[in-house]
Amino acid sequence: MNLWLGASVLVLLALTILLVPLWRAKNLSGAGDDHPEGSGLPSPVPTVSSSRRWLTLGLLGSLPAATFALYMYLGAPTILQEQALTQAHAAYDTDAMIKALEAKLRDKPDDAEGWFTLGRAYVVLQRPSDAERAFARAAELAPKEARMLSQQAEAIALRTGSLQGRPMELVMQALDLDYEDEKALELAGLAAYQQQQWAQSLHFWRRLMKKLPKDSEAYEEIGRAVRIAESKAVEASGLGDRARLDSSERPKSPH
Amino acid sequence: MIPELGHVALIIALQIALVQGLAGLVGAARSGSGLKALARGAVVGQLLFVLAGFLALTWSFLVNDFSVMNVAEHSSRHLPIEYRLTASWGSHEGSFLLWTLLMAGWTLAVLVFSRRLPPDLVSRVVGIMGLLSFCFLAYILFTSNPFMRLHPAPANGRDLNPLLQDPGMILHPPLLYMGYVGFSVAFAFAIAALISGRLDQTWARWARPWTLVAWSFLTLGIMVGSWWAYYELGWGGWWFWDPAENASLMPWLAGTALLHSLVVTERRGALKVWTIFLALGAFSLSLMGTFLIRSGVLSSVHAFALDPLRGLFILVFLAIVIGGSLTLFARRASVLRSARERAGGAAEFKPVSRETAILLGNVLLLVALGTVLLGTLYPLVLDAFDLGKVSIGPPYFNTVFVPMMVPVLLLLGVAPRLRWGQSKLSVVLKGVRWEALAALVVAGAVPFAFGAFRWQAALGLGLGAWMVLTTAGSLATRWREAGFLSLSALGMGLAHTGLAIGIVGIGLVSAYQSERTVTMRPGAQATLGDYSFVFRGVTEVPAANYSAMRASLELGRGGKTLGVLQPEKRIYRVSRTTMTEAAIRYGFLGDVYVSLGEPLPGGSWNVQLYLKPFVGWLWAGALAMFCGGFLAALGARRQTEMKT
Repeated sequence: MNLWLGASVLVLLALTILLVPLWRAKNLSGAGDDHPEGSGLPSPVPTVSSSRRWLTLGLLGSLPAATFALYMYLGAPTILQEQALTQAHAAYDTDAMIKALEAKLRDKPDDAEGWFTLGRAYVVLQRPSDAERAFARAAELAPKEARMLSQQAEAIALRTGSLQGRPMELVMQALDLDYEDEKALELAGLAAYQQQQWAQSLHFWRRLMKKLPKDSEAYEEIGRAVRIAESKAVEASGLGDRARLDSSERPKSPH
Repeated sequence: MIPELGHVALIIALQIALVQGLAGLVGAARSGSGLKALARGAVVGQLLFVLAGFLALTWSFLVNDFSVMNVAEHSSRHLPIEYRLTASWGSHEGSFLLWTLLMAGWTLAVLVFSRRLPPDLVSRVVGIMGLLSFCFLAYILFTSNPFMRLHPAPANGRDLNPLLQDPGMILHPPLLYMGYVGFSVAFAFAIAALISGRLDQTWARWARPWTLVAWSFLTLGIMVGSWWAYYELGWGGWWFWDPAENASLMPWLAGTALLHSLVVTERRGALKVWTIFLALGAFSLSLMGTFLIRSGVLSSVHAFALDPLRGLFILVFLAIVIGGSLTLFARRASVLRSARERAGGAAEFKPVSRETAILLGNVLLLVALGTVLLGTLYPLVLDAFDLGKVSIGPPYFNTVFVPMMVPVLLLLGVAPRLRWGQSKLSVVLKGVRWEALAALVVAGAVPFAFGAFRWQAALGLGLGAWMVLTTAGSLATRWREAGFLSLSALGMGLAHTGLAIGIVGIGLVSAYQSERTVTMRPGAQATLGDYSFVFRGVTEVPAANYSAMRASLELGRGGKTLGVLQPEKRIYRVSRTTMTEAAIRYGFLGDVYVSLGEPLPGGSWNVQLYLKPFVGWLWAGALAMFCGGFLAALGARRQTEMKT
């Protein structure tokens, strides 16, 4: 166990730092030479060194024990295993799933749903080119499914870094097929936002928000984007007081 | 792995601190050198292990290890790297770790620079500081563990408080803590003197440089905090009499009194008990300030923590330190006095002497401190006992504190002219008559140069002129008499001049600052004083963790363009807070300060314009005080080396 090894090294280091001066001082002052009071008198060497021995034994015993006990009480000794376990699971899961899917699709290449799932997995693993191919295949097999097209659009945009051109064509096709497709609405809104067409982006995103569950992270994120777009829209059009940004008072005191 | 090892390192440091405390105190009482050596080893170990803990925390911030709760709560992936580094002391837990680290550093410094001190004294000082460190480490480990883990780790952190994402706030806490922790050295010296019953002039000579350095850091820390408030909070205020500020002002006042009474103890062997009392007081007030800010009793940006357990722990700690040290003081102070009398060095106090002037100044400083303490604690006490809520603000402090400080500043001019032992009042008064006249003329005439007579300006200018002239005069006298100026005298001169410069700045900015709120659309022009401002519109500027609306205003004066001011309004993405970033044109004679208000329909914006004449003198003065303090510390240290 690396952690215990590291902790042991630290404890040893601490003991060295404490005990070396203690014993070196003993050698120095054995004759009482750095002590004016002791210089003329026969120094009580036996008691001093025995108390030193007790001190040393005490530190040798208590420091490791107390460190261990306090760490077990205060620390998170199992965190490393837990983290390793979670990571291993995660890695094992995606890798294994992808391998299994790829194998399955080699045997049965007409499974649109399979290609779609594989594409999503590639996106998660940040392999946009592979994802693009998988979604393209899925779209080929299921040409009436909007989500195949919109996901393919996203994969292309991730690869090229732009929504313009081919991705937007696919998004528009997807919206023609299904005007409620979430990914298509999100991308359409984003494209409009990037082109500073605030009203249009609001149109897409508000529609999207109606479809998302209220307490989801995606809902909040889109909500935030909507608020920004709203303020932009107001700024651009000068709609009046009704739509002003919430104004915070000038701080009377900093604290 | 790294956070866990950091945690282990702190646990070891806790035990080393205990060893340091016990070995130091017991070793001082015994004749053998073994325990003293053990305590010395513990000081080194203490610094190493606390440093290891601190570095482990910093590392966790650097690599965005959000499985560490402290990192998850005070950082985020988008936080720029410099603020990720400094976020390690931006949190409650981290700031205490920083305190402990500085304390360990100060202890080692005491050990290194005190080789020639009696080993018993060093051992006691080290022991007392060890016990203080032990309390702090116990507080950290049991109530404010910086290495608390989260599992599973969140994908991103909650970001650092935007107010703290600023260079001023990077420097402010460490400087302030350097001062607070530095006072612990004076505290430990005082306790050691009380335990041993020995307090001679050598003791004061040894304690003084430490106090001076601590005081200098505290001065700089307060200055940086004030400057930060000035440019960051968006309306150009520089002191608010806020409890969090008062918490740092009180130890500063006590420390200022301590510095001066230490001089008396060193030179005259007098005021010993008083000096000890101040040394205990300065550190106790530092602890109290920390308690006020850290326990969450003040709901302010400084009080990030709200946890009753922590408050209780600090309160008990405070009770032990203050109560214990005062009990020791009550029981042992008489021993110090009789020791002095036995030595036959009882110094007499003549009514007209430098020591009397310093004592008088000291008493006035403490009374001023008392008014601040009252104004700070009274509302809290009332609130705590449900006796109603009162708010005590600038009107109270300005009417009570300022008049108390005026005689202190007047004394500051006279005291260096007085001799130790006894002076003749008539000679001294005669010596400063021209300075007094000049100061009165400045106070009466110069305000008219600003267009109108204002009492704040007259007071500031008059006091400033008085202090500068008398300080220069007393330095000149010393030069004539001794043929040289010691570093201590130079430091004193610089610090007193710095204070004078600061006072002039305060007087002038309070009297002549002006402000205006205007609504501007692109192309619009506004004027304030001699300055004209042309609004050139607002653009959006994205940054790593916020996006800013940046306005551009052309600043002109007398038909000439001086430059472009770009105040910003920032929206921090993760915490979703809005911050105002003022644009300031700094100048020797004053600042032009612009902050961006709210957007209005039709592309126009609210803009606040301020003129802050001579405001920079305030900080320049504080900087001079810092340098003066350091110079005096060097001088005091050199004297110590020569005399021992």
